[in-house]
Amino acid sequence: MTEFQQIERKQITFGGKPVPVAVVHPLDRASKAPSVLKGLVRGMRLTLGYFLRPWKVVTRQYPENRQTLRFPQRYRAMLTMIHDSQGFHRCTACKLCEKACPNGSIRVITQKGLLEGVNKLDQYIWRMDSCLLCNACVQACPFGALKMTHSFENAVYDRRLLVYNLNRYAGPPAKVLAAEPDTAKRRQMMEPRGRFDGPLPLNEGLKPVLAKTQESPVRETSA
Amino acid sequence: MSVTVRTLSELLMPPSVADSPLSTQEYFVNMGPQHPIAHGSLRIVLLLDGETIRKVIPVPGYVHRGIEKMCEHMNYRKIIPLTDRMDYLSALMNNWVVARTVEMAAGIETNARIETIRTIMSELQRLQSHVLWWGVLGMDLGAFTAFLYSFRDREIIGEIFEETIGARLTMNYIQPGGLMYDILPDFVSKVKKLLGYLRPLINEYDALLSGNAILQERLRNIGILDGKDAISLGCTGPVLRASGVPYDLRKVEPYGVYDKVDFDVVIGTKGDCWDRYYVRMEEMRQSIRIVEQLIDNLPAGPYMVTKYNARLKLPKGRYYGQVETARGVLGAFIYSDGDGDAPYRMHFRSPNFNNLWAVTHIAPGWRIADYISIQSSLDLVIPDIDR
Ligand code: SF4
Ligand code: SF4
Repeated sequence: MTEFQQIERKQITFGGKPVPVAVVHPLDRASKAPSVLKGLVRGMRLTLGYFLRPWKVVTRQYPENRQTLRFPQRYRAMLTMIHDSQGFHRCTACKLCEKACPNGSIRVITQKGLLEGVNKLDQYIWRMDSCLLCNACVQACPFGALKMTHSFENAVYDRRLLVYNLNRYAGPPAKVLAAEPDTAKRRQMMEPRGRFDGPLPLNEGLKPVLAKTQESPVRETSA
Repeated sequence: MSVTVRTLSELLMPPSVADSPLSTQEYFVNMGPQHPIAHGSLRIVLLLDGETIRKVIPVPGYVHRGIEKMCEHMNYRKIIPLTDRMDYLSALMNNWVVARTVEMAAGIETNARIETIRTIMSELQRLQSHVLWWGVLGMDLGAFTAFLYSFRDREIIGEIFEETIGARLTMNYIQPGGLMYDILPDFVSKVKKLLGYLRPLINEYDALLSGNAILQERLRNIGILDGKDAISLGCTGPVLRASGVPYDLRKVEPYGVYDKVDFDVVIGTKGDCWDRYYVRMEEMRQSIRIVEQLIDNLPAGPYMVTKYNARLKLPKGRYYGQVETARGVLGAFIYSDGDGDAPYRMHFRSPNFNNLWAVTHIAPGWRIADYISIQSSLDLVIPDIDR
């Protein structure tokens, strides 16, 4: 209860049930000059109080405080594929994230590995320009291969620059690679991929056409 | 079938005499779609006689994204992020209505921990929404300071969401079968600190704005909405309660853990803009009360009771569930045809759509300046009207 607003607590019956209510009483006319002035002065005193105590101001100067900006652990700004210290990822190309994405922002392109004979990741395409940052892909991934990171300054002039390839290499996941003792063979199983490698999958529009280079053997692609 | 097209000019009446000795003529003025009080893109056609409003014709649809149609192509988990984008100031409650309806239909039993966290989060969101509304009302009526103060406090509540959920506005947190994340270990202490910070602030809001005679005179006795009319118009939430009808879904049909907490339904007596204003102010205090009661003994348990990748298939039938958002009753209607995991038809009964049409009833007879008070006190979120 405040001095200008009467709140009355009582119990009334509504729909056959007792309901505790707080009734806001009609406001009396604040016509008397002292009370009007009092209200205005009280408001002014509050703002003046903040004016005189600048340490209570909470404004943060954004571009200047870049070095000290910290985000909470769970802050969602940029989808990333987790790569361990040796540069291996855990994605098995199971496509569950692709199925979980509400608007088709993910395209997992697989290839059949010659050495392993199973489907493995070729390109993991993530379209940031249509991503909702809803976290469904991270939640859906059974192997914990994805995470959201905090880089939020992503403005570019061309939206095609927002189509990323998240995996650093094409090939089997870290677990399979770790089981292979031969370093040379392991290197053979991997093919480097860059950040902007890959087709522009304009939301299910184009089927990717992958260039066949001399090193990489003929491979099947499925989109 | 014939279609009658009515033009605006048909609504024009012959030159009439307004409440002034001058002979005046009626004319139409577009308010919006780009107008500061529209808080979005809402076009309001006003039939004016001098400065007096004779008729109000709301023209929604500028933010229509076809969310209901999009839902028909999505499974029930993918619908949740879309509902964030309807009433973005009550995003968690929007999530909850779909989650609740789907859980009801699929027979998923959640546990007490999930329901308690959902309730706490929703009340924090209600608090955040009302804080923002308070500032925006101040800005609409010319008090820009209020807007800055409210944004300061809104960000502080937003930080709690950001830490727990990872987003401030479009959260996608409450999902069928549970929550996206469990709360963090320091959540309880942070919320308690927040409540301790906010409780005196609501008195500060009173000092800054409610005690101001200019604001009082701009809200008092303006735009009176009778309780019966409010019910006929389908108004819900603070708009209905300010007209003296103690209809609050949290009390009438308790969901979550609202039946275990003790709080008052805030009602007004007259139904004018001031009542709508003060009902929300008092609701903030009630929300703090609810969170206070729940935060200390959070039950233990998992935060998700279903597997995320499991297929959510509803049996054939029609399902309807509703929750009380910061603006009123939000209902979700799902018609499932039994095959496939997408709804055959999805409909949302959004509170803002019904609350909007209250202006057609209460605004005629008032001046343009009063119309600002009226629309501000209804607290409309335009994307929720259009969906
Ligand atoms: S965050 Fe959501 S929209 Fe973005 S890629 Fe992941 S699932 Fe798709
Ligand atoms: S990121 Fe995870 S869910 Fe997506 S394809 Fe790879 S392993 Fe499967």
